[in-house]
Amino acid sequence: MNSAHTTPIPEADVQAFVDNQLTPGRAALVEAALLGDAELAARVAALRAQNAALRDAFDPALAEPIPAHLLAATVPPDSRAARFGRRLAPALAIAATLIVGVGVGWFGRDALIERAGTPTTFARQAAFAHTLYAADVNRPVEIWAAEEKRLVTWLTKRLGFQVHAPDLNAVGYALVGGRLVAGNEKPTALFMYENADKERLSLQVRKQAPGSGEAAFRYAVENGVGVFYWIDDACGYAISGNVDRTQLLKIAHIVYGQLAAADAGAPK
Amino acid sequence: MTPPAATASPGLPHPDLVAAIPRLRRYARVLTGESSRADDLVQDTLARGWEKRRLWRSGSDLRAWLFTIMHNVHVNQLALARRDAANVSIDADPGNPAWQLPVRANQLERVELLELLQHMGRLSADQREVLLLAAVEELRYEEIASILQIPIGTVMSRLSRARSNLRQLIAEPASALRVVK
Repeated sequence: MNSAHTTPIPEADVQAFVDNQLTPGRAALVEAALLGDAELAARVAALRAQNAALRDAFDPALAEPIPAHLLAATVPPDSRAARFGRRLAPALAIAATLIVGVGVGWFGRDALIERAGTPTTFARQAAFAHTLYAADVNRPVEIWAAEEKRLVTWLTKRLGFQVHAPDLNAVGYALVGGRLVAGNEKPTALFMYENADKERLSLQVRKQAPGSGEAAFRYAVENGVGVFYWIDDACGYAISGNVDRTQLLKIAHIVYGQLAAADAGAPK
Repeated sequence: MTPPAATASPGLPHPDLVAAIPRLRRYARVLTGESSRADDLVQDTLARGWEKRRLWRSGSDLRAWLFTIMHNVHVNQLALARRDAANVSIDADPGNPAWQLPVRANQLERVELLELLQHMGRLSADQREVLLLAAVEELRYEEIASILQIPIGTVMSRLSRARSNLRQLIAEPASALRVVK
């Protein structure tokens, strides 16, 4: 029942009030009516409770991991499919296979990666090097971050091109240091990072063999280590760690952005 | 340096799109009522988004734009399916909603939320959709009207019906459950 002193609140206003979409003036009218109308107050409370319950019921879905084929569908098609054109589906299927990581042996898997136009062993090598050195509590690196300049100069000299140690402090990872790692053709630079929980990430950089000039991007899980790797400007990059894919992707973007800025000075 | 999240890097997943995926998947499940079809719908939506990217006005709400695309793709697919088979069911199987809950919270709370989701599965797809957009996504009515391409008055009346139907379903004893349109 509405009190004798207030005009009835239209149904549309009750809805909008519950959804916080009413203008302040009309919201004030509803507020006033609530004081004198227990039935209206109960209805508003019930609708608000329903909204809250729906959010509670549906919000956990947002935390679910993203399937690989959907992740692949967010890659700009120009770079993703320049050569594959409409025959993109096989490449996406391969990405899904990498994530699942079962049912296909090492050799079969390498053949699949090769067909997708990416290096056969970079992700694997990156994951192995990461596992080996990240687990080493006392000596994960050859040169510590305290001598970052010396580290970068040394790795630049050994790799034969300018390398950079990206700053990942924005995502909570500090540079631990770096080392040189043997690659299958050329030496690889490894930068190790660590967060407050002592979780480690590594960025590995190497010169790519000629002929793989296009930018490619892949995600793989190798022996339980997540690896994002890509090729850009004749260099291969791999970021590895035991962190979830979303976080790793975020870090990969920061690394990509900083390296592009360092190399070109004018990222788009 | 530009923030990396603001631009798409060649060959890398677009961060804004990656960020939108969980909400797209949720909306797709509410639309289709089926997990597997839902992810197909998300993939079709992303593909359509790339095709139409020149129509995207930067600075506007990417989520609303993608929701609009998803709604249209879904409506078109339904129309095609109807043409193929006259009696295709639009709605979820009421007893088996696609939107599964991960195990969390205490058991009682979880049962209540599961029941709520099952009741929601008994609403029509139109009503589920508007309820998700308003109550869960908390979009403004004007945005919902634009996504669904219907008048704002229709959004509000549909929302009102969805809410009272849902309340009614929850209040009813389980044996009396029925499809409410």
